[in-house]
Amino acid sequence: MQESIKPPVEVKYKEELDALKSNDTGRCPENWRLSPKAVRAFILGSTQPIEYNGKEVRVEKKYYGNDALVERCIVTLAGNRGLMLVGEPGTAKTMLSELLSAAISGVSTNTIQGTAGTTEDMIKYSWNYALLLAKGPSREALVPAPLYIGMEKGILTRFEEITRTPAEIQDSLISVMSDKILNVPELGEQGFLFARPGFNVIGTANTRDKGVNEMSSALKRRFNFETVMPVREVAVEKQIILNEVNKLAKESNVHMKADEDVAELLASTYHELREGVSSYGHRIDKPAAVMSTAEAVSVYYQTMLTGYYYGEKRMSVDCLVQNLVGAVSKENKEDLGKVREYFNTVVKDKSGKEGGLWKQYYDARKWLK
Amino acid sequence: METILRREEMAEIMLLPIRHHSPACSLQIKKMIESWKPSSILVEGPENANSLREIMVHEETRAPFAIYYSYHDREGKLSKEKAYYKCYYPFLEYSPELTALREAKKRGMEAAFIDLPYGDILAASREGKGLLKDEEKNSYNDDYLLSRNTYIKRLCEKTGLRNFDEFWEKYFEINGLYEEGDVWFSHLFTYCSLARENTPPESMEEDGCLKREAHMAAKIIQCAMAHGAKGRAEERWEEDLMAWMDPYRILVITGGFHTPGIRERLADGRWEETKRLLDNPSARIPKEDQSVYLMPYSMEAADALNGYASGMPFAGFYQKVWEGIGEMDAPYEKAVLDMLVSAGKEVRKKEGYLSTYDEICAWQMAKGLGELRSKPQPGAYELLDAVLSSYIKGEYNIASAMPMLVLKKQMTGRGMGSLCPLADVPPILHDFEMRCKAFGLKVRSTSEMETVLSIFSSRKHRNESMFFHQMVFLGTPFARRVKGPNLQQGKDKNLIRETWKYKWSAEVPAALIDVSVHGATIEEAAASLVGERLKGETGAGRAAVLLTQVFEMGLSGQLEAVYERVQELIVQDTDFYSMAEAVKALTMMEELSGLYGSALEISRLLLESVRKLIGLLPSMAGIKEENLPSCMDAVKMLYQITGKGSDMEQEKEAYFGALDEMCRDEGIHAGLHGCIWGILYGSGRETAIEVEKACLGYLTGTRGQLLQTAVFFRGLFYTAKDLIFIGGKILEMLDDFFGKVEENEFMELLPQLRMAFTYFTPGETDKIAKMAAGLHGKGREDILYRKEILPEWYAYGRELDAYARGHMHKA
Repeated sequence: MQESIKPPVEVKYKEELDALKSNDTGRCPENWRLSPKAVRAFILGSTQPIEYNGKEVRVEKKYYGNDALVERCIVTLAGNRGLMLVGEPGTAKTMLSELLSAAISGVSTNTIQGTAGTTEDMIKYSWNYALLLAKGPSREALVPAPLYIGMEKGILTRFEEITRTPAEIQDSLISVMSDKILNVPELGEQGFLFARPGFNVIGTANTRDKGVNEMSSALKRRFNFETVMPVREVAVEKQIILNEVNKLAKESNVHMKADEDVAELLASTYHELREGVSSYGHRIDKPAAVMSTAEAVSVYYQTMLTGYYYGEKRMSVDCLVQNLVGAVSKENKEDLGKVREYFNTVVKDKSGKEGGLWKQYYDARKWLK
Repeated sequence: METILRREEMAEIMLLPIRHHSPACSLQIKKMIESWKPSSILVEGPENANSLREIMVHEETRAPFAIYYSYHDREGKLSKEKAYYKCYYPFLEYSPELTALREAKKRGMEAAFIDLPYGDILAASREGKGLLKDEEKNSYNDDYLLSRNTYIKRLCEKTGLRNFDEFWEKYFEINGLYEEGDVWFSHLFTYCSLARENTPPESMEEDGCLKREAHMAAKIIQCAMAHGAKGRAEERWEEDLMAWMDPYRILVITGGFHTPGIRERLADGRWEETKRLLDNPSARIPKEDQSVYLMPYSMEAADALNGYASGMPFAGFYQKVWEGIGEMDAPYEKAVLDMLVSAGKEVRKKEGYLSTYDEICAWQMAKGLGELRSKPQPGAYELLDAVLSSYIKGEYNIASAMPMLVLKKQMTGRGMGSLCPLADVPPILHDFEMRCKAFGLKVRSTSEMETVLSIFSSRKHRNESMFFHQMVFLGTPFARRVKGPNLQQGKDKNLIRETWKYKWSAEVPAALIDVSVHGATIEEAAASLVGERLKGETGAGRAAVLLTQVFEMGLSGQLEAVYERVQELIVQDTDFYSMAEAVKALTMMEELSGLYGSALEISRLLLESVRKLIGLLPSMAGIKEENLPSCMDAVKMLYQITGKGSDMEQEKEAYFGALDEMCRDEGIHAGLHGCIWGILYGSGRETAIEVEKACLGYLTGTRGQLLQTAVFFRGLFYTAKDLIFIGGKILEMLDDFFGKVEENEFMELLPQLRMAFTYFTPGETDKIAKMAAGLHGKGREDILYRKEILPEWYAYGRELDAYARGHMHKA
């Protein structure tokens, strides 16, 4: 029985990280736990298993889609600029940021969760008021926030959903990012915190939030931007669905294995609705709702849970379609019509030509109401 | 690298695999020639280009250039269509084949192309495969054979590289700077053998590979026999015995994919079989129907052509690398740095935000990525990654992609080659020069010249105009018409003179060579292209436009054939828009035929097409939004054609009958409905009151119908804008309409409303505004001042513009 629903990456992959460290011969930037090559191997997997503590540890591929992007991220973090991951929701930006932090700093939890209510205190530091009153301003009374901790320890600070945070709060990062120094005026001459090597910031921002709190160009200049695109290949998307669903099932003690054919069906549906064109070349109206791989995983997993607890431990296509309805009917009512159209054209053709599961899928269109 | 020693022939043959346009291959070949000292060099390339070798290696010839092969299948050997075929074999400064030929010249060695002649390669390929592929341009370069196999896909996955080009750069280009020749070539040979093993034999057969390889192998044997012991016995009789015993060395340079195939054919077991091919030559296609010329080429064209054939991309980048090889230790690093700086400079000039620090970060990124990817030097892909990551601020999309576009353009390069004066040119170029001389055109000047032609009063001017039109039709970048009647677009029919601007450039002969397969003179080529185009034409509209072009070009021999085809298509074509295009083009021709002095009976064609168009009209009631403008154009055009006093007046009733039928259609598009009401009012068939009633129908209708009012007005104003000034009723209705819609609905309808008001002149808009203000008891001045517009709106608009531009560019 595990203690938390979702253990941090460094705990979940402890063995892999330790194995990589013990075999790491590459040069490490100062304060990095692993060399850039080992970080790459941790995220993108290694072809050969590693000998560690007398057994072979296999380092699995954790991020699919764009290897070059991961490499650029690693090189950015070893340099002077922060890393900003932007993209559609559900494109695994947060996962990538966690993996990078765990591999580079050994910890992925030094995180600021950006919201409309985020204040400068939550980013830099605040005070323990009891101690402040008792002892006056001192390091002891100071409660460090993630940016302070990152600078002090020489580790990465993650800033999630940065564009949800008001622009003036975002801008408090500017001078810290360029000068690598944080001034705590209350502490007088001792109030200068110089960032230790290894410190850097990984931000994530959602492109659907564009215009909510646009980043200032001064802040943009302090970051290298990486745009995380949705997965372009159905085969890769299917693999992600399988991996993630199996992982979730294992974590929740659901003894059921993901079905490859159903995963492919779902991956095709999401892929085609997102791209607006089917594998047969039909042109499709794209729904406004986010058709991300993460959504596909969630639809699959819900269907799996229903099958496991209420069904006969198998995937029901009817249930899959019902969950699909729930997933797409978020933004507006027209989306469902678009999915219905998709079934009436693409799924219909595929059910005729390919039969099997596609036929069952087409038959389940009655749930699209 | 494979060497074969034939004792009997006393010839040693070395087979070197290459990839076209690879600097590393060039470098290694140069070294190999230095160390192995071959006696002759045989290069892959159609053998009918052997006559061009002298020009290719001439010191005044500058790469990029291409060998242009063409074949006119007069006897129908390839297909019944008796088609024209052409292909290109481009050479860059660092092409290995060119390096080999240059080295051969420098060292006084013999050299030859050994592949099948172009026509025979076509004959050896299956329909739609190899050089018979249905591409706009075919390249002789067949490097796609190295990259399109299941093996390379797996290999890229395993090595974590994104595609074959990145794999090639890492393992062959950059390593090629450091590895010894024999090691490097043996790696390449292994790769090529694996690529071949993973390619289905049937596809090699279809592409004509196997026949070509057999021919090349036979040519190698021929060379070995001609220069081997028997061939040389007499001339060497007097020489030292040891020297006599020295084998004759033949270096064979072919695309890597073919090397294992040729090697197999030269192996002991198959030597005799291959040799027998010499008694029975495979060339079957008549030589006189094939032509081959050298043409200056550009890096951009080579890059585009490589796109078709998966050749090496980034000609400009590798040119820089090639220039650095031998000059410095790290030519890749230097090329990457140079391009980062030059791209940075251009981005700064265009957008202004890029700082030197961005360039420093990009340089660090490129170097860091090189190290992370275990590359001895950063290459093209690190350069692309560095710009993507350090020059683009914010999300990467079409609006922010400018730095990448700038970089890619620089990596493609802008270089253009030139040929030495000895280069033979096809007859069409001589014709071009003669005609330019006859018309007194200044083609030696590189600045743009202008000439004004009175096409209806001077025969000479009309001839000159025909020549210009032919040049335009042939797709040459020589002349452009800046003023004059435009038969295709139906514009400026009142002009009686044409103004042309023309300029000679290196692209003009290149473009003429490109069409030389179609004829020996400009007129002949244009006529032949008209014939080709006509074969593929299935729409009356396009065919009628072609008729106007033939008319302008003065190709009287073609007129009849095109005329007949248009007539046929008018009967067959059922596409409304295509028919409308035909009517438009024919109307213009009919109006100008007197001036042009044409004897063609255009009016008959026009009458048939007008009748057809009127017949199709009722089916157009429920059109889609995007078709509204062209449909309204057609309705208005028919009104004008069948107007009072015209030859088509007899069609008037049929036309109004069609309009009636459309109005009765419940699903009629509101815009079209408005347009028809405008015409009915204009022709006096309906009164202003009736029109107002129709408007009111929309205004007082259900919500959905109410929202259609905007587009109804758009149609109405297109044909009868004066209605708004009569009585003021229409304006009141519009005002009423604005009162009824919600703000968000208004925003949605705004584009349609804007379109509706574009038909008014600024003076008229002012007048309408004044009238509208009057309805609310305000004066003209009260509505002149508006609230400021927020900068964010402008920013959004700019982004939207860039997005649209990007999309249109892509389309």
